[in-house]
Amino acid sequence: MTPILETRGISKSYAGIGALRDVAVQVGEGERVGLIGPNGAGKTTLFNCILGLLAPDAGSVRLAGDDITSLPVHLRARRGIGRSFQRIELFTESTVREHLLIAERVRRGNGSLWKDLLGRGRPKADELQACDAVLERLGLGELADEPIEQLSLGQGRLVEVGRALMTHPRILLLDEPSSGLDRQETADLAATLRDLQGEQGFAILLVEHDVEFVAAFTQRCYVLDFGTLIADGPTAEVLERAIVRESYLGSVKRDDL
Amino acid sequence: MVLATALGEDLSRAFLQGLPPGSVYALIAIGFVLAYKTSGVFNLAFGAQAYVSAALYFQARLEWGWGILPALLVSVFILAPVLGLILERLIFRHLRTSSSVAKLVVAIGLTVAIPSLFDVLVGFEPVAGQTPTGIIPGGASVFYQPVGVYAFSRDELMAMGVAVVVMLGLAALFRFSGIGLQMRAVVESPRMTELNGIQADRVSAFSWALSSVFAGLAGVLIAPRFNTLAAPDFFNLVVVAIAAAAVGRLISLPRALAGGLGLGVFIAFANTFLPEWALSYPILAPIQDNVAPAVPFLVLFALLVLWPAVRATKEQADPLSGVDPPPPSLASHERSAGLTVATRVFAVVFFLTVGLVVFTQADVSWLFLVTQSVILSTLFLSITVITGLAGQISLCQGSFAAIGGFTVFQLSDRYGMSVLVAALIGAAVAAACAALLSLPIRRLGGVWVAIATLAFAFFFDAVMVKLPWVGGGGTSLLQGTRVPRPTIGPWDLGNDKAFLVLALVVFVVASLAVIQIREGTTGRTLRALRGSELASQSIGISPARSRVMAFALSGFLAGLGGAMLTMHQENVNYTLNFSPFAALFWLVLVVSLGSRTVEGAAQAGAAYALFEAIVLRGAVFGWIFRNTDRIPGIFPISPKWRFIIFGLGTIQFARHPEGLVEFNTRRAHRRAEALMARLGRSRAASPPEPDAPVTEESVP
Repeated sequence: MTPILETRGISKSYAGIGALRDVAVQVGEGERVGLIGPNGAGKTTLFNCILGLLAPDAGSVRLAGDDITSLPVHLRARRGIGRSFQRIELFTESTVREHLLIAERVRRGNGSLWKDLLGRGRPKADELQACDAVLERLGLGELADEPIEQLSLGQGRLVEVGRALMTHPRILLLDEPSSGLDRQETADLAATLRDLQGEQGFAILLVEHDVEFVAAFTQRCYVLDFGTLIADGPTAEVLERAIVRESYLGSVKRDDL
Repeated sequence: MVLATALGEDLSRAFLQGLPPGSVYALIAIGFVLAYKTSGVFNLAFGAQAYVSAALYFQARLEWGWGILPALLVSVFILAPVLGLILERLIFRHLRTSSSVAKLVVAIGLTVAIPSLFDVLVGFEPVAGQTPTGIIPGGASVFYQPVGVYAFSRDELMAMGVAVVVMLGLAALFRFSGIGLQMRAVVESPRMTELNGIQADRVSAFSWALSSVFAGLAGVLIAPRFNTLAAPDFFNLVVVAIAAAAVGRLISLPRALAGGLGLGVFIAFANTFLPEWALSYPILAPIQDNVAPAVPFLVLFALLVLWPAVRATKEQADPLSGVDPPPPSLASHERSAGLTVATRVFAVVFFLTVGLVVFTQADVSWLFLVTQSVILSTLFLSITVITGLAGQISLCQGSFAAIGGFTVFQLSDRYGMSVLVAALIGAAVAAACAALLSLPIRRLGGVWVAIATLAFAFFFDAVMVKLPWVGGGGTSLLQGTRVPRPTIGPWDLGNDKAFLVLALVVFVVASLAVIQIREGTTGRTLRALRGSELASQSIGISPARSRVMAFALSGFLAGLGGAMLTMHQENVNYTLNFSPFAALFWLVLVVSLGSRTVEGAAQAGAAYALFEAIVLRGAVFGWIFRNTDRIPGIFPISPKWRFIIFGLGTIQFARHPEGLVEFNTRRAHRRAEALMARLGRSRAASPPEPDAPVTEESVP
């Protein structure tokens, strides 16, 4: 079966210093995959190469078998790459519902200037319904009309997820979703994501610091260190391997002592 | 052989000729970079600061008969630093954590306000043709020829000498004093450096004073090159400085120095060789006079578009600036249904009354002003679109409007086309030009869009307007490019009242279109993009496409407004209506009154055309007392107060980006709602219900 997302031989260097060397990852349909590694391992660089924010020096990115390496960010998004942000990126001056609504409209391709001018640009009932259904599902129903500025960080992350869901993603890239959240909030987020994934069948690629979260949430994971993949396989196994403990978890343990 | 020597002589003469203005450009560029580095302010008002010192020097020498030294001392070494301190202390210090665009808007307001304020306070009146004098006796009449090919005037030698001394002094300051290092630290993050014990306020105040002295020096040195001492010339100067500073990516002082000198020499080359080439290539003839002054703008535009390093220069916003609360949503979205009805009824009654009075009572001159205000409101809707909706500062709306006006003129003049059709074509042409312009700058961030559009506005002003197929070329500009009023079937809009009706119809249609766009997908897309470009892309929005669309829309509205204005005045009147400096005031008006609503544009239009007549000339008192003889003696007040009041009005932009109109509407709504709640309570005599939060009744 073709993996939903695949990178082949991605390399990227900044000013001669290699940030990524020949990195190949695969995410299968409906899979939850983690990407871990110490700070500066190249996780964000890989992430940005997949999203199209950075152009890799070599290698290719494929979405469901199609080469998307040269597509701009927004076209990748339209093809089914949804994402959340480590430092949340929301649209100021908008309500919660408007965040989902704009994503819904872009997906449907309803945005033409002429339609706006003829007064057809206002939200339609079925669009609003679709947004409200997702908000309900995320437990944000009550907050639909709140200005986005009123929300807590955890709620903001949920809005990001909701916004990404409106694009009907085939894979959701989550960038450190637990940062800034406490344990309970993280667990709640993980539960919601797992449920949603069960219903809608999208895949998830998770970049995360919180090893516990990765262990509990993902089925498989990749470990990056100094721009190279040093391990991959079922999450539980990978986290047990000595090499991983040394490069990543080792430091955590030392700190604990 | 002879040819080669002649060429060599030309080259070296042009080189030497370029050095004196180049050193003044360098001074300005360095002063500009100093303020930018230490406060993150893209100080467009720098030219205004230079103007003030030059004007005071000029006034003291000529009017008050002071000697050179005292005049220089007061204008450059007292007035300039004091002005710098005032700007820093009263304005920019409080904006340190604001976005760079907010700071830019305030600086634009100051550009408009400061020269007028100075003129009013000192009683300075620029006299046409009275060339300012330099800071050395016989500056323009005594020449030296140290190298042989080019004779330097005393003024020019003085300019170069001052520049050298100042550079050495500055280098010493940075090398041997602690404050140089502190200045650099403050740039990174004022709040952070403060935590480290550096007094950011002191450093910032010091660099503003220093920067202002640079402005003053440059102003006094460059003034003898102008025929007349006028603020717009000094505004041009700051664009030259930005071009020079852009060579150093706005952060490197030595490169700004090199950039200034380089530009001076480059312009001198253009001045020397273009006329020769124009002899052999007649096609160059109409632009040869104008390319040289346009060089800085071309250089600036090219640098911005072609040199990624400039674009990549990090926006100097404080890393902690994200903690400021974002602007609130539109007041009209938050008001209750009852209040909405009340507001609409009031608006209809108000406008019917005003309309009735205007149509029955107004004489020719009032009718002219009212029509102008309606047309300008249409034009200002273009700023509502580009700045209010898309969040971009465009400083070339005047050029787009002029394109509309010139198109009407050309099509009706050459082909006898109906002016109304020509107006629509003009708007379309302006839209196309705006879209084209936005393509190369679509990836630029906030402040850079403003600067690139400003460069375009000056390029249009210096080159395009002079072309026969744009402005009519040569003399037609001066003689007035006449345009007839339209006729629609039986209606002859030569009648002023009929034309006012047309203007009103156009404005209403344009307003409805803007409202539809704001509430429709396009408006939502632009709002999303303004909120977060990254997140917008992540849901499939193409930033480039949306920006191009916003520019095209804005260009269309500006072109339409420009065409209407041209028909109304039966003339393009380019310099009066559409010059870059004039258009700067448009932005100031719209932004300080409200760039996000149609009401804001309408009030800005009214303010532009009517504020002077009604308020500054005291007509309002004439109406109140029903007798023009009883207008108090202090009227008429200088029309320059327009610029001062609205220019300074932009200062509140940083705190209330929604503008005065929105701010007051919101406050009025809150009061009205509180009042209605109280009335409702006392009438029902029921237990008080809690005040409903405003958002509960917002329109989705």
